[in-house]
Amino acid sequence: MAAPALTIRVRDVHVDYEVYEDRRAAIRQRLVSRTGTGRSLVHALKGVSFDVSEGDAVGVIGSNGSGKSTLLAALAGLLAPTSGQILVAEEPKLLGVGATLLPAATGYRNIRLGCLALGMARREVDEQIDRIVAFTELGEAIDRPLRTYSSGMRARLHFAIATSVQPRILLIDEALAVGDRAFRAKSKARIDELLASAGTLLLVSHSLEEVRKQCTRALWIEQGILKADGPVDDVVAEYSAGEP
Amino acid sequence: MWQPAVAPTADGAHTMAATGSDVQLRPLDADHSARLYLKRMWARRDFAVAMPLEEIRSTHQNTLLGNVWHLGNPMLSVGVYYLVFGVILDVSRGVDNYILWLMVGVFTFGLTQRTVLNGAVSIAANQGLMRAVRFPRALLPVSVVISRLLTFGFELCVLAFVALVTSEGISWRWVLLPAVLVVHSALNLGGALFAARLNDAFRDVQQIIPFLFRLMIYVSGVMFPLERFISGDGAPPIVRTLINLNPLLAIIELYRWVILGTDLDSRHLVVVLVASSIVLVSGFSYFRRAEHRYGRA
Repeated sequence: MAAPALTIRVRDVHVDYEVYEDRRAAIRQRLVSRTGTGRSLVHALKGVSFDVSEGDAVGVIGSNGSGKSTLLAALAGLLAPTSGQILVAEEPKLLGVGATLLPAATGYRNIRLGCLALGMARREVDEQIDRIVAFTELGEAIDRPLRTYSSGMRARLHFAIATSVQPRILLIDEALAVGDRAFRAKSKARIDELLASAGTLLLVSHSLEEVRKQCTRALWIEQGILKADGPVDDVVAEYSAGEP
Repeated sequence: MWQPAVAPTADGAHTMAATGSDVQLRPLDADHSARLYLKRMWARRDFAVAMPLEEIRSTHQNTLLGNVWHLGNPMLSVGVYYLVFGVILDVSRGVDNYILWLMVGVFTFGLTQRTVLNGAVSIAANQGLMRAVRFPRALLPVSVVISRLLTFGFELCVLAFVALVTSEGISWRWVLLPAVLVVHSALNLGGALFAARLNDAFRDVQQIIPFLFRLMIYVSGVMFPLERFISGDGAPPIVRTLINLNPLLAIIELYRWVILGTDLDSRHLVVVLVASSIVLVSGFSYFRRAEHRYGRA
């Protein structure tokens, strides 16, 4: 049997971005100083390379601010690398919770819009919307404007939208299990379902237990540099040993 | 332990590794060509249309007259200008059907103004959406154009009503209105794309735009016919040339030709066609060159 097909190839990827202390630079700041006040350059990834093949389930671990989420955002095409190359077999989809759609529109309309933004065709949305609405368990609240939602209700809605597509390359940024206990169990089951139909998985998580359970392989990223890449048990053991 | 999904073939065997090479891999950032970018925009057209529909649905949904309020601002503007320019300053001499003439100017100028202003904030206001979903960002200004066009429909109805009431009538030229709207929208989209990128880089831009339009309204012949002021010795030739090259003046003259049957200067037709194409193409390319920067702050 030949080696499994590559689905992701990452070559020497760097990602920098500017961070502004208060929102965005005004013209004044641009004119006054090119560095210093108001903004700073974050070098989030400093030359990361790896390959992922069909059938790989890769956990990405590392401490806070190590560049894990930046890596996922870059793979999802949300943050363009400053240099380096990312090759993919298919467009990876990032499951993250927190998109703010239209606060004045109802939950129902937001689901429609969210699904279209994710790239579903209108007919597909028509077919799936009842299932997605049922999944949120929001009841009558689905016809109320999003701005009236509690954070828990909003999280349910976001989760339902984010998990409405079934991508072949699935990227998951931690803390996807949301809401109260019953809903958490349900969302966990939904993630498992997505995993079962995806060909490739990258999972960012702080829970080493979850990474061990879901993944066969792990990447350890620290300060934007790939420190280890190998079988999940080895990398997790190395990471745990490195932790104080 | 997670098991990869492998599609079983007809004979039940697994086709996991049909190819072991990376020949099928493509760069993630493969949108460098304008053609591919446009193709991806087209694939998400449902989204670009749904967005403004939802917006219109959700604004004013609590008011009794609902979307009719979209007419409030333009109608009040017409009232103010009529009072100042039509009654007090009486610049309407020589203009047949001044009220309709003024309405055409105010409504069509307002369409450009609102599109560019809303377009300017379209990137800045949708950071959350951009951080979560990957789509060609130019869809945001595009959906602004669609949104403003939809509300412009109400204004067109009012124009048609006034045309009928004031015995102007609806001439055969109304058939050309869709074509005029397409050209006008090209101009507006180009402007919205420019404004969106500029405002993403410098948030001050959205504060400055209203003043630019306040200046433009006086040189676009919205409230009074400019001809009287720029012909003769009053204005230096350079000013006259610049005003004649103003695409907003030209597009408004085009609308007036359609709706009021005023004379159409063929120069205006050329100006509007050339300017719309240039503004749209350059706006699109200017916007796209910063594609990777949107949603980053």
